[in-house]
Amino acid sequence: MISRRALGAAAALLPLAARAQDARVVMGTWGGDYGEILRQGVDVAVATPRGLEVVQEIAPAPTRKTKLLAERQARRGSMDVIGLSDVDMYELAQLGLFEPVPDGAVPGLGRVIPSLRRAYAVPHIYSARVILYNPSLVPVPPKSYADLWDAKYRGKIGLSDLLYAQYVETAAIVGGGGPSNFEPAWQKLREWKSLGARVYSSNEQLAAALKSEEVAVTVMWLARGFMWKQAGIPLQHVVPEEGATSITYEMAVPKNARNKEGGWRYLDAMLDTRGQAAFAQRMGYVPTVTDAVLPAELARQISLTEAQQAKLRTPDYAYQASMAGRLLDFWNKEFKG
Amino acid sequence: MAALILPAGLLVLLLLVAPMAMLFRISLNEYSPTQLMLEALQPGNYLRALADPYYQGVMGTTMTVALSCTVICLIIGFPAAWWLARMDSKQKSLAVILTVFPLLVGNVVRSAGWMALLGRDGAINATLRGLGIINEPLQLLYTQGAVIVGIVAVVAPYMILTLSAVIEGIPRNLEEAAANLGASPLVAFRRVVLPLAVPGVVAGSVLVFILCMNAYATPVLLGGPQFKMMAPAVYDQFVRGTNWPFGAALAFILLVVTLALTVLGSAVVGRRYKAQ
Repeated sequence: MISRRALGAAAALLPLAARAQDARVVMGTWGGDYGEILRQGVDVAVATPRGLEVVQEIAPAPTRKTKLLAERQARRGSMDVIGLSDVDMYELAQLGLFEPVPDGAVPGLGRVIPSLRRAYAVPHIYSARVILYNPSLVPVPPKSYADLWDAKYRGKIGLSDLLYAQYVETAAIVGGGGPSNFEPAWQKLREWKSLGARVYSSNEQLAAALKSEEVAVTVMWLARGFMWKQAGIPLQHVVPEEGATSITYEMAVPKNARNKEGGWRYLDAMLDTRGQAAFAQRMGYVPTVTDAVLPAELARQISLTEAQQAKLRTPDYAYQASMAGRLLDFWNKEFKG
Repeated sequence: MAALILPAGLLVLLLLVAPMAMLFRISLNEYSPTQLMLEALQPGNYLRALADPYYQGVMGTTMTVALSCTVICLIIGFPAAWWLARMDSKQKSLAVILTVFPLLVGNVVRSAGWMALLGRDGAINATLRGLGIINEPLQLLYTQGAVIVGIVAVVAPYMILTLSAVIEGIPRNLEEAAANLGASPLVAFRRVVLPLAVPGVVAGSVLVFILCMNAYATPVLLGGPQFKMMAPAVYDQFVRGTNWPFGAALAFILLVVTLALTVLGSAVVGRRYKAQ
């Protein structure tokens, strides 16, 4: 028979167990450099001292997106925080999967660049889509996206299969459309295909092709170009005359998160300047908070000038989400087919 | 006695039939970019997949690769299986371990090895260039041939072990009797061993064919972004396109085609050898 004393001791332990539960935050994230910098720069440096115990759930974005969708009817989901690109985040937000950010829950939001704030997510880091080229193979650098349709780039352009939506938008801009009108893109993409633009399965394979000089030009995130340069791939970047398009990586708390409170605390830790600076130094992403100070040389390499910033385009999330099926179909059937 | 299958039956019902039924239900829904899917009972996804020349092509590629791999496995697997079946018991366990050795390495790791071998700067191209046989690297990776070679390396052990188990059951003295009656080894194989090994040929082929029809990692890694088989196409619709109803319809079409070809193939081979 259980004694009254044993019962009392068990009851005394219950709050401790509950506290451990409150402290644990499951963070759905990419692996590789991103996961590692997050672990060092945010989890260990900021979140743990603030009493959080962070567990990373590592998977590529499409896998975590699908998991979140599959769990949408479940009362208790598997992730307390999820990190995704702004386009993916919007797509899931319109399906009502995220908890709106409550007032005051993330104090650091006051330091966030106002244009990057969303009702359903907190911005983590951002960059812009630019042109990367190998100066020894392309002595006269292109100035605009439109230049990449010149016959002199025949067989020299490499693309990543993961960024197909970005290329559709690029082609749309060249064809006279833009983030809210992809119709001109189809013809321009057919022209690009006839110029022998090559598609690689992943960003890493595209990097290998740039390194081996199999291709000489690509359209890619400025941050990714920074990393590739750091890795010794001979590349320079050009911010296109048409204006670069931004990419923001955001984090949100799912509606069925087990530890929403911990989720908000984690998002606040993520806005700490130490983690923000670590992402800038190692991955070339620009901080989303206004008080993260970067070394001048680093800032020059990963940021846009004021004039370039003025021309920066933001994706039309609603339009892009409505076109998602058509983009994939065109890319698979016509461009790659 | 029938009660003995109850636990396994319940497990299958819970873990296979129920999710499949759910998937089938999803395949009849309508895709919605803003709401994931709309409840419906319509065959539109199936009709679209069946009428679309792109998916007809993907299914054609899948069947070509699966059939090629099955035939290659049968051709290279039969002699190996016969050799294994007729081996001394001492060496046999070592030979079996060597046969299943490729299965001890994960699909992705194995494919990475093939990529290192077949890539533009891979071992084969480097050797051929070093020997002065070629100037420009050959396109070996990201071809249908690379996918077939990669899949055969994965599934061949299944064929060899299945065939070997059946050949072991064929008394050795039947081959000796055929030889005594003047049959050459080839005739003895064709008229005695092969007909008796038909159950193994059918079982091995069915197993290998099903595995090939559903191959995912090898086509993605060795076929490259332009090459499409059905399993990666299903994944694309679910994960990249977030079009679950269409992805579910593609999955069911793959299931039905695989099942139909398996039943048809087994029936044809079985009947042909029964007649003899």
